[in-house]
Amino acid sequence: MSRELAKASRVRVSELTSSTDLYLGVHIAGPGLTFDISCFGLDAEERLSDDRYFVFFNQPNSPEQSIRLLGAQEGDSESFAVALPQVPETVHKLALTATIDGDGQMSQVASGYVRIVADGAEVGRYSFTGTEFSTERAVMLADVYRRGGEWRFAAVGQGFDGGLQALLENFGGEALEENDEPTAETPVAPIPVQAPAPTLVAVPAQPAQPAEPVPVGVRVSLTKYTELPECPGWVQQNDNLVRATLTKGQDVLAVQGSMVAYQGKADFAYEASGMLRKLVGNLTGQPLKLMRVSGEGQVFLADEACDLHMVRLEGDSFCVGSDRLLAFDANLEYEVRRIEGEGLPNGGYFTLQLSGHGTLVVKTNGIPVLLPVTPVPETYVDVQALVAWSKGAQVITTAPVRIRRSSYAGHTAQSHSLQFRGAPGNFVVVQPFEV
Amino acid sequence: MQAQFLAGGGLGTHRPVDTAARMSNHGKAICRVAVTAQTDLYAKAGAMVAYDGFLQYEAVSQTFRRALGEWASGEQSPLLRWSGDGALYLADMGADVLNLHLDGENLSVNGSHLLALDATLQCTVEKVKGVAMMAGTGLYNVQVSGTGWVSVTSRGVPVVLNCAEAETYVDPDALVAWTTGLEIRARRSMKLGSLVGRGSGEAMQLGFKGAGFVVVQPSEDTADRLKIRG
Repeated sequence: MSRELAKASRVRVSELTSSTDLYLGVHIAGPGLTFDISCFGLDAEERLSDDRYFVFFNQPNSPEQSIRLLGAQEGDSESFAVALPQVPETVHKLALTATIDGDGQMSQVASGYVRIVADGAEVGRYSFTGTEFSTERAVMLADVYRRGGEWRFAAVGQGFDGGLQALLENFGGEALEENDEPTAETPVAPIPVQAPAPTLVAVPAQPAQPAEPVPVGVRVSLTKYTELPECPGWVQQNDNLVRATLTKGQDVLAVQGSMVAYQGKADFAYEASGMLRKLVGNLTGQPLKLMRVSGEGQVFLADEACDLHMVRLEGDSFCVGSDRLLAFDANLEYEVRRIEGEGLPNGGYFTLQLSGHGTLVVKTNGIPVLLPVTPVPETYVDVQALVAWSKGAQVITTAPVRIRRSSYAGHTAQSHSLQFRGAPGNFVVVQPFEV
Repeated sequence: MQAQFLAGGGLGTHRPVDTAARMSNHGKAICRVAVTAQTDLYAKAGAMVAYDGFLQYEAVSQTFRRALGEWASGEQSPLLRWSGDGALYLADMGADVLNLHLDGENLSVNGSHLLALDATLQCTVEKVKGVAMMAGTGLYNVQVSGTGWVSVTSRGVPVVLNCAEAETYVDPDALVAWTTGLEIRARRSMKLGSLVGRGSGEAMQLGFKGAGFVVVQPSEDTADRLKIRG
């Protein structure tokens, strides 16, 4: 079963498949564009210390054949076979990149994906379109990297200015002239890649076609919405849905009414929140009503098709606007904080500060932006678009900012913004929607 | 303005793609139907956003309307019959569109989630009885069977849950469609505490059991946008 991986998501390869012989297929296409797709074998410092691990059309194999370029097949523009156990210890990360050969920019890309195939079946896929990029001429698509003794897959999707040459320099590959490798400026006709040896390679039985296949039967039509395979804890089913797998003694607190479906024995109970309810309920008129979900089973949570984001806390603290929180592990500690300020609506802005070890789910309307907070200059955020921030960021209310909005009858001419500053590493999350 | 000015720009990438499929998605929210002279299409009134080619529509025939009977309380037909040769673009307030191909299967769709269906499919309207009455998304259920295409809307990206592995409980407001032949029962999760105004917010769920699946949307909006429309 193929798992849809969102941009910037990370997953253990062992969660996707038990196999260690992977087939990585890259599809990227745009009108009039040609791409060079390469795989960089990087060391612990993310440098290309050994250029024999730069696998591309002029060098289709790494020395011990652990990374091999297979060429276009089965609907993929380029594909690689990776035997993870054979990859030498010095190689910590395999970075898949695509660069435009000739003119063009990444925003012209019509569609693309990176997929992982193991044992003949697709187990994971990260899809992207050109709308995520602008004038970049290269993109770092995905990484397969070591972390804590096991391999993980990260969907990167990070655009990169400059072409293949700039990318090589970024990875410290100074061997450009010596090896006479082609650059984006002086394209060399690619030598034809020999047909791959059929052994070892896990070729998918069902090729994923860029053109829409004609499905037969309801089940086939709905394949892409199928439930993700079972695993403990929290799982992001899709942009709008999260799934919590309950076990005994590990309750979840969720906003009342956020359950859309469940399987198993789940119990929903009113959660008295004491001070929380009193403060948030009485003063803001927007009561944060929680319910305690306990039992054993799988619960799907969602709210009005909002975009959901899972945040994993490892002992740190995180502040979330009281109306932007969907659910969190019951073992997280939470307290209400009120930010007072002259003229703030409803006498203050209420946030929940969560800390401890566990997961929380934040909802946003639209794709949010994560702004880093630094001591100087400060970051200003409209209260109504604020979602969350890291605890180390210091909040100061500023005097109402004057905005010319007189063209809209009935609008006030003032809005309120919060000022953030803090040590580097802190951040604030803002959504493109003013509640 | 010439179309080529759009090339490479923001809108140039949104041209329709010709596909072999009868119904296909253009983006998340638009359903593109290739209407041919052989197969007519029933579509929800007001769902058409564009069409090209030689297409015409009419209110559904008297007999069919009688069959639909109480679906719409007003005089107007809830469905339009489209015929001709061309491409029809349907959408419903930006909701996600799922195009499903029935291969001799049965599907029960909540009335307000039905966007379009092939005229070759048999469709019976049943008033939701008993427990499912509580479902806020529409009082009528459309049972679709046969071989052909049906298009369904969902607010947000849905999930398909298999009821064979475990009994599945769904919030009635989040229910989109299910395969017929499932055993349906209501489960009340009300407790004593609920009586004194301290409910968990999840008063009632529908339980589905058997070989089949349910489609659930990530939203519980009970506002029936489609009823208001004339």
